Amino acid sequence: MSANALDTLWLEERSVTNLVKQPAIRGVLDMLLAFAVFMGLWWVFMDPRGVLRWYTPQYGYMYIRWLLIVAIWQVYIFNFWPFKLTWMEKTHPLKKGLILIAINFAVTGLLVWVFYYNIFGRLAIPYFSWPELKKTGLSDFFSREYSSLAILMMAAIASWLSPIWPSAFENYPWHKLKQPAKGLTVFAVTFLLTTYAYLIFMHPHYRVLFYPWQEYTASFPWWYDSFRTLSGNFNVGWIMCATVSVWLTETILERYPFRLVKSQPWRGIAGFLFILLLAFTLFFTFVFFQDMIWGVSVEGAKRIMAPDWRYLHTGELAVILLTVALALYFYFDNWPRNFSTEVNLLIRVTITIVVAVGLHWAYYKYSPQLLGTQAGYSHPQQFPMAPVILFINVMLYHNWFMDGWPGKRIKREAEAL
Amino acid sequence: MEKDFSRRSFVKGMAVGTLAGYFGAAGLSSTVFKSQLLPKEKLNPVDIGQVKSLKIKVISETSWYDNNVFLNDVKKAGGLLVNQYEIPWTREGVKAGYQGDNLGGFSTYIEAELMDGKVMKILLDSGWNPHWMDKRFKEEGIAEKLAKKEIDFQAISHEHIDHFFGIESTMRHYPDIPMYVPKGFYQDGFDLLKGKSFPKANVKNDHPHKGKVTVLDSKQVNVLHPGIALMTFDVPIILRVFGEQAFVFNVKDKGIVLVTGCCHQGIISYMEEVRKKILGGEKIYAVQGGLHISPFEDWDPQYDDLILAFNKYGVQKIGCNHCTGFITAEKMIKAGLPVVKGTARNMSKRDIYLGNGDELLIA
Repeated sequence: MSANALDTLWLEERSVTNLVKQPAIRGVLDMLLAFAVFMGLWWVFMDPRGVLRWYTPQYGYMYIRWLLIVAIWQVYIFNFWPFKLTWMEKTHPLKKGLILIAINFAVTGLLVWVFYYNIFGRLAIPYFSWPELKKTGLSDFFSREYSSLAILMMAAIASWLSPIWPSAFENYPWHKLKQPAKGLTVFAVTFLLTTYAYLIFMHPHYRVLFYPWQEYTASFPWWYDSFRTLSGNFNVGWIMCATVSVWLTETILERYPFRLVKSQPWRGIAGFLFILLLAFTLFFTFVFFQDMIWGVSVEGAKRIMAPDWRYLHTGELAVILLTVALALYFYFDNWPRNFSTEVNLLIRVTITIVVAVGLHWAYYKYSPQLLGTQAGYSHPQQFPMAPVILFINVMLYHNWFMDGWPGKRIKREAEAL
Repeated sequence: MEKDFSRRSFVKGMAVGTLAGYFGAAGLSSTVFKSQLLPKEKLNPVDIGQVKSLKIKVISETSWYDNNVFLNDVKKAGGLLVNQYEIPWTREGVKAGYQGDNLGGFSTYIEAELMDGKVMKILLDSGWNPHWMDKRFKEEGIAEKLAKKEIDFQAISHEHIDHFFGIESTMRHYPDIPMYVPKGFYQDGFDLLKGKSFPKANVKNDHPHKGKVTVLDSKQVNVLHPGIALMTFDVPIILRVFGEQAFVFNVKDKGIVLVTGCCHQGIISYMEEVRKKILGGEKIYAVQGGLHISPFEDWDPQYDDLILAFNKYGVQKIGCNHCTGFITAEKMIKAGLPVVKGTARNMSKRDIYLGNGDELLIA
């Protein structure tokens, strides 16, 4: 947060105390707890061997994506409204967490089942609605998968654009409004931008997805000549890198360097451009690494050699990077903090990269046993982003909604004084 | 530091950073940079020899009869990542099915005439529904050939339901047939081969295999006889399957002929590997079998990438069928690709590509 920030979140003002004093033990225990909760949720909702088995894959993946964006709305855009901040401070973290998670799940369900399936999909674009697609004669299974992909892509773009306003622009020029007016305004603006971005970056994918091509309703995938694929995975890749860049700057990079710009909207513009620059650097670097390891991709090939899978995998690599960065930020107090900003950042980035390489290896080695996924890279119906983002969701619930309890809790007034 | 900070120095820093980042990223991804940094691939193509001619007969390419019934089975079980041995597949009440059963299967019979005049007889895959496969084996004379041990070996392209669960239809006639399977077979697959039942998936094998099973891996081109090779690909596949192998024949005066089960590795990836690893691989004359593009008449823009790229390989005959899908065949024909027509008999639905009982001759 910048010293001259126009607007701050309750999260930034919240003061917490450590219940487990030894930081490394606290971090490890809290992280293990989050992982256990993640495993429970995965087993109940997603695991192909589990209870509900929603990881079909797109159907469950869609919910995971929307749980994330709804949490961002709850915390970053609405600043926990309609709850009073005094309630946030005084309520037991477990009770508070369960209520906020219940709202998170409910809003996600409403969005999918009411907004997308029965309003937007029914009245505007049928591929956003499972029932509407089914009515066209498409199989029940693929009606659900195709609509889930569209809905989750909307969430992917929202997870890039929504937090930019509170994070980089500090809600300028609406920073003086009170909640819910501020939240609703920022929500409306970012959702509008998300919709436009979706129409430019993802809608052309659907021109080609259906047979015959829907040439009167969507543009030809404009990226084809430069990036050798008609698939929207090209955009999925860099947009995921952009989402990850937002959260890297928000956590381990401490909004550096754009926080140094003195006034808005220039700070916001600089932040937006910095995030975009970081995103494309990540994207092209990851593409290059893959080319180094597996050779240059081949047009029309499948799996590991397919250009579109390589782009998708850049997003997967970026999300793995983010998981480590968030764990460092939430569970290890964004260590280190005692050097100059530049040195702190450099050490954190180094730790993040090194641990992410290990996590990438561990994911492909152990996920078949732990998550019920299938062995091997580039499975056509498997997305490492799904479990990884669910784990991120759990970390967000734990730290945003529950103050990191039981390792931490909100400071009581006397302690704060 | 923040106090001393000026907008001018920030803008300057951002401009330098942006340009450096842009050229760094663009440079890394540019062809110029790549050609210097990418490790050079060592090419040491294998000479697999030649065969005189090839006869490929489709025994069954109709793996299931009603897409919606199949997909509902998958959906009810929990999607495309669920283990195929744990899905209760629909076996009755299907109008379009074979005697009400939704299951069919995939199998191809190949006769390769070697340069010395000897004919190698090969069975690729064993289908799914044993009743259907027994009927097709009988109609095409495969059952008799198996019983007389005239077939030299069987190759299982991959462990999928529709290629492997009907193994009993082969075993009942020739339980000690030499067999090749790709690396990646799960223990369940070996157990089924040895006679284990999987009641949940409604699959059994009452005639355990007693012959030699050779597991082929992807490290090398597996030359079985002069002009005949199998290549294995380490690919993860839906319904918890891993690995697929496919045939490469080198036919004198024609060129390379690729015969596949499902080709989950992707036909372009397959042709690229053949170009790199097999002597003469740059001249691919024909492709036959499933190309796994739109098996459920589903689609993905990536498949259009494939069709647009296919023309660059100069293939003369595309004898595709099975999991290639009708949408793909229509798009291929529209793109000018030489898809070989079939006759739409023996329960094959359309004549757009080779169907049950159809033959492709390469001579």
